[in-house]
Amino acid sequence: MPNNSTILSRRELLKSAGLGALALSGIFGASHRAYAKNAQHVVVIGGGIGGATFAKYMRFADADVKITVIEPNKEYITCLRTNDVMVDLHTLDELTFSYDTLRNNYGIQFLFDSVSDVDFDKKQVRTKQGEKLSYDKLVVSPGIDFRFEDYEGLSAEIANTQLPHAYKAGPQTLLLRDQVQSMPQGGVFVMSPPAGEFRCPPGPYERASMFAEWMQRHNPTGKILILDPKNTHSKYGPFRKGWERLYGFGTDNSMIDWLALDEGGKVTQVDPKRKLVKTENGTEIKYDACNVIPNQRAGKIAQHLGLTDASEWCPVNRNTFESEIHQHVYVLGDSTIADAMPKSGNAANTQAKVAAKAIAAELKGETPGNAIFSNVCFSLVGSRYGISISAIYEVRDGLIKPKGQSAGVSPIVDSPAQAALEAVYQKNWHRTFVKDVFG
Amino acid sequence: MKRLAPLFAASLLTFGVQAQANEDLRFDPEAMAWLCAPCHGTQGRELYESMPALAGLDPEFFTQTMLDYREGRRATTIMDRVARGFSDAEIKAMALWFAEQPAEQWNPEELNHAQ
Repeated sequence: MPNNSTILSRRELLKSAGLGALALSGIFGASHRAYAKNAQHVVVIGGGIGGATFAKYMRFADADVKITVIEPNKEYITCLRTNDVMVDLHTLDELTFSYDTLRNNYGIQFLFDSVSDVDFDKKQVRTKQGEKLSYDKLVVSPGIDFRFEDYEGLSAEIANTQLPHAYKAGPQTLLLRDQVQSMPQGGVFVMSPPAGEFRCPPGPYERASMFAEWMQRHNPTGKILILDPKNTHSKYGPFRKGWERLYGFGTDNSMIDWLALDEGGKVTQVDPKRKLVKTENGTEIKYDACNVIPNQRAGKIAQHLGLTDASEWCPVNRNTFESEIHQHVYVLGDSTIADAMPKSGNAANTQAKVAAKAIAAELKGETPGNAIFSNVCFSLVGSRYGISISAIYEVRDGLIKPKGQSAGVSPIVDSPAQAALEAVYQKNWHRTFVKDVFG
Repeated sequence: MKRLAPLFAASLLTFGVQAQANEDLRFDPEAMAWLCAPCHGTQGRELYESMPALAGLDPEFFTQTMLDYREGRRATTIMDRVARGFSDAEIKAMALWFAEQPAEQWNPEELNHAQ
């Protein structure tokens, strides 16, 4: 038994630090195959990155609690890596994950249905198919919704059929792929990233990069024009250095051009019939393919349930992610106001873990510990050129802030190894990350 | 538990984390360790990737490696930034948590036998 002794000694050490009970929480003694009738019930609305991670780690944090996820779709396609699908480096099938492992191995129940309403006083969720579920704690992980109304001529219908945002994985991913890949030689692909807070802040710039690499091979006289309603963006320095190195950025021959807000980059109108967009200063720009990624707000169900404030995002207690509007209700991921944390899958994943620990503590009548979060986000500038942004986060003065000196982007160095390794790690991260969410 | 006392004492000496080691450990070690999972696998148990598994690592090695990253003594792409988010005590607490985990590929099927 030498191994066990060693393990116990380490637990003792942790206990001496006053953390024994927390350190010992986990899967040991799991009894999730048969819940007691009086088991407490945690209901999760939304089986995306936040909701699925939460369900899995709720099981780690509490072996006995009953967990039910309500999700309309039987499979989840990660938005992560859909930029690769558009240039044929991945298929959507490779980004599609089932809930079988969470259901079969973690004892999590799935109800494939949509929520119609929540009675916060009775602590009861009603679904569109007429189910009623009582909860002790409710977790909502609603993702994002688009502000089509910010662009004259744009609507959900037009995005589905003519001007795909391709910012949720699915048919629009393939529609945009086909539109860009079928541009005439020398054609112009116009992109309009969102303003304000939005999902995956480096996403639009990675997308431009991946299409630039594709066009180098298949449409070398084509151009990508980014019309930006901002004067800067995520990973600004590393993207620019990468574009200089790979796509001639800053020269007359650049494959990518970027017009900032101050240079007239804000798109206010779209006209898919005439294939043009109009900017704030009235300039009309013709395109051969176009990707307007609209401004965003909290997912529809968060708005419907009244979990949003005037900003159209969800205010939460930063230490637990409990809604500041409704007690016993927690909100995770892109929909939340999380200060310095970006709206990323990795951020949602660690918010989910914080909420799981906090809920487990509260269900036992204990006080939740201090929250700690992380974000690691890799982007590709080319299929063999990766860049990253990362930080550890804690709560200070009621806000989520980077911890220590951890926040930063990839250094710009002469050695090609940095970018080559980060491209390897980018693929590695996606494979491992989805296992941490769904496996 | 008595028999464990010598081992307990030995591990304290090894890591130099005597009684006051809990100084400012403001975070649950497991909560910190869970942050590593997106890259290093659930419970640090992803054995088939270039971002290495952390489960079962010698805690002294884990601690020294993290300190080397943090202080810029070891070449890396991203771990220097990550390590700068943690204090000495926090790194040691994570080292001990990962040392407890089996150095085997994470397999959710093992949960079915965890009665």
